[in-house]
Amino acid sequence: MDLMEQAQETFVTESLDLLIAMEEGLNQLESEPDNEELINSVFRAAHTIKGSAGLFGLDDIVAFTHKVENVLDRVRDGDIAITPPLIAILLECRDHTEALIEDMGGEATDPALLEQSGQLLERLQGVAGGPGGASPAAGAEAAASSPSTWEASVDRQESPPVENDNWHISLKFHPDVFRNGMDPLSFLRYLATLGEIVRVATSLDAMPEAEAMDPESCYLGMEVAFKSDADKQTIMEVFDFIAEDSEVAVLPPYSKLSEYAELIEKLKAQDDSYRIGDLLLQCGALTQPELDKALSYQQAHRSDPEPQPLGEVLVEQRAVHPETVKAALGKQKQIKEVKLKESKSIRVDAGRLDQLINLVGELVIAGAGTNLKAQQLGDADLQESVSLISRLVEEIRDRSLRLRMVQVGDTFNRFNRVVRDVSRELGKSIRLVIEGSETELDKSVVEKIGDPLTHLVRNAIDHGIESAEARRAAGKPEQGMVKLDAYHDSGSIVIEVSDDGGGIDADKVLAKARANGLVPADAQLSRPEILRLILKAGLSTKEAVSNLSGRGVGMDVVTKNVEALRGDIEVESELGRGTSIKVRLPLTLSIIDGFLVGVGSAGYVIPLDSVVECIEHQDVDKVRAHGGRYINLRDEVLPYLNLRELFGERGASTVGRENIVVVRSGNQKAGLVVDELMGEYQTVIKPLSRIFSRLSGISGSTILGSGEVAMILDVSALIKEAEQKTLQLG
Amino acid sequence: MANKTIMVIDDAASIRQVVSMTLKGAGYDVIEACDGKDALGKLDGQKLNLIITDVNMPNMDGITFIKEAKQLPRYKFTPIMVLTTESQDEKKRAGQAAGAKAWVVKPFQPPQLLAAVSKLVLP
Amino acid sequence: MDANLQVHQEGSHCHINISGELTIYGAAELKPVLLEHLAGASRLEINLAGVEEMDAAGFQLLYLLKREAKSGNKVVSLVAHSPAMLEVLALLNMEADFGDPLVLAS
Repeated sequence: MDLMEQAQETFVTESLDLLIAMEEGLNQLESEPDNEELINSVFRAAHTIKGSAGLFGLDDIVAFTHKVENVLDRVRDGDIAITPPLIAILLECRDHTEALIEDMGGEATDPALLEQSGQLLERLQGVAGGPGGASPAAGAEAAASSPSTWEASVDRQESPPVENDNWHISLKFHPDVFRNGMDPLSFLRYLATLGEIVRVATSLDAMPEAEAMDPESCYLGMEVAFKSDADKQTIMEVFDFIAEDSEVAVLPPYSKLSEYAELIEKLKAQDDSYRIGDLLLQCGALTQPELDKALSYQQAHRSDPEPQPLGEVLVEQRAVHPETVKAALGKQKQIKEVKLKESKSIRVDAGRLDQLINLVGELVIAGAGTNLKAQQLGDADLQESVSLISRLVEEIRDRSLRLRMVQVGDTFNRFNRVVRDVSRELGKSIRLVIEGSETELDKSVVEKIGDPLTHLVRNAIDHGIESAEARRAAGKPEQGMVKLDAYHDSGSIVIEVSDDGGGIDADKVLAKARANGLVPADAQLSRPEILRLILKAGLSTKEAVSNLSGRGVGMDVVTKNVEALRGDIEVESELGRGTSIKVRLPLTLSIIDGFLVGVGSAGYVIPLDSVVECIEHQDVDKVRAHGGRYINLRDEVLPYLNLRELFGERGASTVGRENIVVVRSGNQKAGLVVDELMGEYQTVIKPLSRIFSRLSGISGSTILGSGEVAMILDVSALIKEAEQKTLQLG
Repeated sequence: MANKTIMVIDDAASIRQVVSMTLKGAGYDVIEACDGKDALGKLDGQKLNLIITDVNMPNMDGITFIKEAKQLPRYKFTPIMVLTTESQDEKKRAGQAAGAKAWVVKPFQPPQLLAAVSKLVLP
Repeated sequence: MDANLQVHQEGSHCHINISGELTIYGAAELKPVLLEHLAGASRLEINLAGVEEMDAAGFQLLYLLKREAKSGNKVVSLVAHSPAMLEVLALLNMEADFGDPLVLAS
């Protein structure tokens, strides 16, 4: 049995009790026709049955008892005298109500009973006198009584139709509404988007005298007549945000007078000075006679036990403590203000931060080991919780690494000084442009990048930017420009030093390199390869690039520094337009997301950011081009490298098929042939011991969850290696 | 008259984006912040008509942010709306206790968000 | 953010120009100032032409002045309502209660 069915059973029991009381009352009235208490109890029986029946949608019962109630209401008001014929017909009505209630089990009310309803009501009207009741069996259409006699219609409004179909919204705002950031007007404005605000009656009755009036407290009350097709819920929701503290009531069009009576009573109970009656009249919700009726209705129900309104309880509670509360709030505020200042930044010893990062590194390794074991065990629940831990560890790793991240801007700004000093020294006018200051990178990288950057900037000023005369002759602005920029690019950070100077003369560089024996006299080099030559030791760029005197700085020093950071340098230059040197660095030095591959019996880690895709070796076509061996990847020709050959692995491949991992560094790509793809792997980079540091293609090592050591591949070195190997093999 | 300005605080960029696009589409100006701390830093005296904040965020959660913002004279009367999920009724309560009386339940459709916002400030 | 006041006293008549925002943000500051001017004058004229924004808190302040004036047999008249001001009065249906001729400030 559901809740409604249970409640409906209660309704039957309750109604039968009420009908017994009604019968007794009517019988007693024969001898005491002026006993108001008796009249009230008879009235209340009809009223309560009608009200509850409405809850269950028992419209036929509502319609019938409504008329009976109307007559009884007029009796109560003294408009109709108690007479034996009236008592007789009312007793018949009582019996009929009982019959209706007993009948309600079925789908629809017995038509015979309905017909009887009509006849009874007609007779009732005849005895009670007065017009109305023209269509007594008109179901729930109870408001059909004559408009000229409002007395006959206790529960329905009798206003003209235009105002009749308005919603009524009653708003009494809580004093704290402003403090909560709410403006009562905003709700009215929004309401107006859902329909038409017909009329508003505003009250500030609650505003105390000037001295006590708190300008930050809200004293507003509003009664609003509102015309809209929106449903009740939609209208209620307009006031969701204030409903908890403020008094909000929404009465649908044609609401019962009793509902207005309840509203009046509720608001009066909280604040007797609130002129709710006047406001209801003002906004057109009620007519004067209706209001009078509502007020008397209210008095008639005074005997009902009323719980203390919550508002009163709250007001009382608040009255006890206002000073205490205010004092507490003031204290809290002071504490907050101090805290706010402190929370902006905390200085932490870098050593402590490093300890934390080391521990997180160990945690990552231990986590990877646990993950591996869980997978071997194949326990689904364990795997699930391990993967949750892994995700959290990953998050902790990222967050703690971010602790070490600093913006590159401070480092860049130091170059204002360098540029000014060097350009003065050389008698050049040069402007420094800084971009990407907010780009973040690991603090340890920032510390190590300072010197190489200084070299690059000095070089740009010295060799890059031409003399004022040369610039004028070339139609350039006399003032030269050196730009520092930083940005993230596929898992690396790129720091770019560029100038709008004369650019690098590739022919001169090549000639110089040949003269110095850096390249064989007959070697054919591409333009990028030639430009890279300026990074080599033994090539003094000052003669090669320009004839200007100045302090040539060996670019090989820069190259070494950058490579020590697992970084890479790209040179781009256009003769007459300028040079751009891009230093590509890993975001962090200690932990990377890796891709674990197997070659022979060993595992190798490829930084995940540089992995483009994986393909099966046998699916790949080999082509010969440019005199070398290449793979054809969807018409893109890439050099490739067999890691098994490169690292001299002799152990047999554990799996049948080889795979190719396509990797990328900057804009160069290559394929790496491996035995096995083992998936993504968080990798803590351990510095290589000296023995390995000369090993090409390896940038570091890591410890796998299984305890084995795996080498971390240096992708950019491998790509270069692949290009060379391909050419040699060709 | 200048557009109404709303600050949107959420650590999830996708949610910031949805909220921000929805609001901009309706004619509001939007300032985005990715957590409470970021948002506090961006409260630099400009006029805000509404602040919409997520609750669970790194660095500084929404509740702490609300409490801090309520201490700033320039923003003590600025309406604050919290983004909650159905299961976070206690978060909604905490937000209300801190002074954010408005809320929107995630997941929401843009019209629901706009309706909630419009109750406090029309575009 | 707050309201700006310009006060001009002429015998027992006091003219005040309010401009900017007549809102909750300035309410606490404004209340004693306005009441003080009312106390020192028999007639207070408030020019609202420069009010760019008014909220319910601002409205309450004006209402307070009107009410205080009435009980003290003084006159507070509001003149040159700005559009923002008129919108609020219309929304609250308080034009008649305030009883000021509504001439839009040009």
